[in-house]
Amino acid sequence: MSNGEKRRGLWIDPRTKILLLLLCVLSATMAPSLLYEMLVVALVACFGIVCGKVRYSIIGVIVYGGFYLLTQAVLQMPSGNVQVMLIAFLGLVHKVYPCGILSGIIISTTKVGEFLSAMNRSHISQKIVIPVAVMLRYVPTIREDWHFIKDAMRMRDVSPNLKNFILHPAMTIECIYVPLMMAASKTADELTVASVTRGIENPTQRTSYVRIGFGIADLIVVLAFLAMFLVGQFYGEVF
Amino acid sequence: MSAQSSYLNKKGLTVKDLVTIGIFTALFFVFELIGSLPFAPNPALTFYQPFGIALLCGPVYLLMVAKVPKRGGIVVLGIINGIIWYVLGMHWAMDLGYVVMGIVAEIVAGAKGYRNIKWNIASFSLFCLGPAGVFLAYFADPAAWAETMLDNGTSQEYIDMMTASAPAGMLPVILLGTIVLGIISGLVGKKLLKKQFEKAGITA
Repeated sequence: MSNGEKRRGLWIDPRTKILLLLLCVLSATMAPSLLYEMLVVALVACFGIVCGKVRYSIIGVIVYGGFYLLTQAVLQMPSGNVQVMLIAFLGLVHKVYPCGILSGIIISTTKVGEFLSAMNRSHISQKIVIPVAVMLRYVPTIREDWHFIKDAMRMRDVSPNLKNFILHPAMTIECIYVPLMMAASKTADELTVASVTRGIENPTQRTSYVRIGFGIADLIVVLAFLAMFLVGQFYGEVF
Repeated sequence: MSAQSSYLNKKGLTVKDLVTIGIFTALFFVFELIGSLPFAPNPALTFYQPFGIALLCGPVYLLMVAKVPKRGGIVVLGIINGIIWYVLGMHWAMDLGYVVMGIVAEIVAGAKGYRNIKWNIASFSLFCLGPAGVFLAYFADPAAWAETMLDNGTSQEYIDMMTASAPAGMLPVILLGTIVLGIISGLVGKKLLKKQFEKAGITA
């Protein structure tokens, strides 16, 4: 690393991260039991800690532990409609949670430049890569924008709740959509100018300040996730 | 020099278009999440999930088409949506549905050069049928569908309850309802576009 700023934790190639995400999706969707899924989450959290996201990972495990206990409690409940609903809901949570937390770690530890370089090196079309990179960065901004918009709406005595929505639908719709979409198109223009200034349209081979490449660390994490997946597939009865 | 200038005058999607598509895909995705949250976790209501998407995303879609009136934009939106929902562990038919309906919607909107608002609205309601692809797979072969979902980690109770709340005539209701809601959402979007965004000069 030559860019002065010291990086916390291990550096993993963006392509490896995508592979990890794929393995995690497979492990989580074909998980033989809840205990196994807990182990997957633990593995993801270890990966997060190694990458320098200590607090995020620990909170993730604790929240998942809560869901785990809740699921156990629901399973003990007398069966009925309520139980089926709760199980269905928790089933969805268990399916999405490990991937969600891993995506969070990956997005927050990958810089856009690294992502673009790695994708470019794998010869994936810019038509997909650029929108994906922009999108991943923009989703958190929408949340921020939304808080500002809500504040502004309160000042004008419009509140984005169900009651107002039924009483003044047109007004509420306008107050939600217009600022969000205005902000979005303004950001799109600004971001375009910024990226064109930095030479994204340059037709020659992209160069990068950061050295992108696979290392021993990549191999180790991939092996760890692969082992997790295979254990779930072939030794599922152990859990 | 000539190679460079031909690059800059390229007809296809420019970087500006790609960035715009990225931003609006993010917004589209957020509205999709909000639209499906009340439906998806509940087995009795899960069939209506495309309704939520169709109802909320119209204005975003129309503004995106207005800002990127070029071949390829809608397909990219469909492909990225498919990728994201796949990563989130959804049934493959839903992801495939997004890509296929993205292409169909592209053709419909492109027929009038992306400038005709009625055709754009029609293209939007077709696009919304994408997530309903998972139900097409369900009604085509419920047994195989249940198997895939079980492999994907959905619980048996969820599927049982879904089957219980799905009478045979359900599929046309879902498809028609999605199209109707898509058109309503599109009309709201048209009004917003006319009232706010055209005046602000954003749609060009």
